[in-house]
Amino acid sequence: MMLRTTLITLAASTALVSAAYAADPIKVGLSGPYTGGSSSMGVSMRDGVKLAVDEINKAGGVMGRPIQLIERDDEAKNELGVQIAQELINKEQVVATLGFINTGVGQAAQRFYQEAEIPVLNNVATGSVLTKQFSGGTFKNNYVFRNAANDGIQSAMIAEEAVKKQGFKKPAILNDATNYGMLGRSDLKAALEKLGVTAVAEEKFNIGDTDMTSQVLKAKEAGADVILTYAIGPELAQIANSMAKLGWKVPMIGSWTLSMASFIDTSGANGDGAMMPQTFIEVPSTPKRKAFIEAYHKAYGGDRMPSPVSAAQGYDSAYLLKAAIEQAKSTDGPKIREALENLNTKVEGLITVYDHPFTATDHEAVSNNIPVFGLVKGGRVVPAHPEDLAGDKALRMKPKA
Amino acid sequence: MQILLQLIASGISVGMIYGVIAFGYQLTFATSKTLNFGQGEALTLGALVGLTTINFLIGQAIATPWAYLLMLPIVLAFGLLQGAVVELLGVRQAIKTNSEAGWIMATIALGIIFRNLAENIWGRDALRFPSPLPEQALSFGGIRIQPMEIAIVVGALLLMLLVELFNRKSIYGKAVVATANDRDAAGLMGINTRIVITFSYALSSMSAAFAGVLVAPITLTGATMGAVLGLKAFAVAIIGGLSSGAGVVVGGLILGIAETLTGYYIESGYKDVPGLVLLLLVLSLKPSGLFGKPTIKKV
Repeated sequence: MMLRTTLITLAASTALVSAAYAADPIKVGLSGPYTGGSSSMGVSMRDGVKLAVDEINKAGGVMGRPIQLIERDDEAKNELGVQIAQELINKEQVVATLGFINTGVGQAAQRFYQEAEIPVLNNVATGSVLTKQFSGGTFKNNYVFRNAANDGIQSAMIAEEAVKKQGFKKPAILNDATNYGMLGRSDLKAALEKLGVTAVAEEKFNIGDTDMTSQVLKAKEAGADVILTYAIGPELAQIANSMAKLGWKVPMIGSWTLSMASFIDTSGANGDGAMMPQTFIEVPSTPKRKAFIEAYHKAYGGDRMPSPVSAAQGYDSAYLLKAAIEQAKSTDGPKIREALENLNTKVEGLITVYDHPFTATDHEAVSNNIPVFGLVKGGRVVPAHPEDLAGDKALRMKPKA
Repeated sequence: MQILLQLIASGISVGMIYGVIAFGYQLTFATSKTLNFGQGEALTLGALVGLTTINFLIGQAIATPWAYLLMLPIVLAFGLLQGAVVELLGVRQAIKTNSEAGWIMATIALGIIFRNLAENIWGRDALRFPSPLPEQALSFGGIRIQPMEIAIVVGALLLMLLVELFNRKSIYGKAVVATANDRDAAGLMGINTRIVITFSYALSSMSAAFAGVLVAPITLTGATMGAVLGLKAFAVAIIGGLSSGAGVVVGGLILGIAETLTGYYIESGYKDVPGLVLLLLVLSLKPSGLFGKPTIKKV
């Protein structure tokens, strides 16, 4: 009796093991800040990816195997990002990693993926350098991809909107003293120069500064007619609040971080009217977007995503990876990279339809015609120029190379 | 001229915050010649406890200004308790064994523990603190000041005045002053100097917690809000002199105004430089601080 039970158990467990083997999950890393100052972006990105992966797994997974996400909180810290990269590569043996909100973390962590020949899909970080870190020169292949609007695209859009569309001639640049802010400032200066305009004031501040009176006053006294920003939520709110305190109101146009919940909530009415480039705005302008917005709020509650751009780009990055693995018919890093660089299937995403989004030399899926301007209004981001998303313009696609 | 006055007005409110925190450094230094290096975290905890309390009170349908006033005694009591804990766990043993550096390590370590505690309870996001006063700025001949900035200056001065009055007039306060003047002699006169030192730590954290709820409405509340403030207040305490209550107020104002003026007239990137230059100058020319009494260390 005893022996028989043991045998049955043994047989059953063998069967289980082999069944599990057949559907061995595909491990995908997910690295982003889920706590701290950039957490609204990190959490939205993670939730977007999870939503996509749930859908993919429910529909039978990838090559019959489910995707298993290995989530790690990098707290927006470069050194932690490096540790996580090493853990995901060596211990978890992921086939690819999605994520990175902060340019600095991406820069520090990506080299490990490059060396291990494992693809990375940057779905939020915007630093122009990120996809160029390992391209050309001595690098044969580049394993870093991105489906977010990089700072080169954003700064050009900001300059264009302020100078050409709205006719401002005396912009002041306000940025934080981080990598993000300083690199953004130089991108902005270059973009303004192309339009023949120089900033009347360039002011910076530290993360955590509570008083922006001197910076805002300097922009005001220099006669600025618009404020261009490159910073993150809490400090951006301090700028808007300091402007209100000084009784001075000029438009604020800046990088996409002006859509952060921490800016919108902390600045309240003072932040109304701020404009920023967005790849995704929480309006149901296509059926797919409508379904996504509903699914997101059904799964995570609330009626406003903390960072809609991050959620949508996160969602899309998972589908891009799925398409690449299916085309490669393998979870081998170099094969996935090759597939990404020559994707034959169109991937219907939220921010665009990805038709050959990457090539061997171009690892940016988002081109300068895809983002539109968003506007803060009554605690939400709405399209600044509704005609941008009207009719067939709702779906903007990267031009064919 | 108007710009200069505007900058000075903003500098004063920032400076007063530095002053209140530095006042806390001065309180413990007077009685025990030790400092709480976790002062910034005491501020953080005070602000976060205040945030939870005020949100609870607002949830009970109490108007924000009243909720703010009702919250104050709770935050002050919490500050007293937190300071006493720091002294009991971190400082008492070091004083007993006459350890030169033990209290430094212990208060820094406790500060880190408190910060982690705050991160675990309140998360790592910056949270908005409800403002008890209207956020619309008032205009005084073109100089625009937020009502909360005025409240910061008044509140800070009031707190320091009350603590000073307590020290000078009440019998318990006299024990504190006696201990500050000569701990051994005070001990021989029957004053329980241990309790006095614990009490000075309690008062010190109380002022930091108070500074936390004062500054919170014009900035954001979060586990890291105290780090920079605590450090700047330390510079203020050294500039003003660790043995002078009035010195830290003046030190705070000097630093606050220097920051806003530099930010405007020189470059915003150099905002923190004049304060540090001043710190170095004071340390090399008058180590006891601008208003401090020179201390003679008997060997």
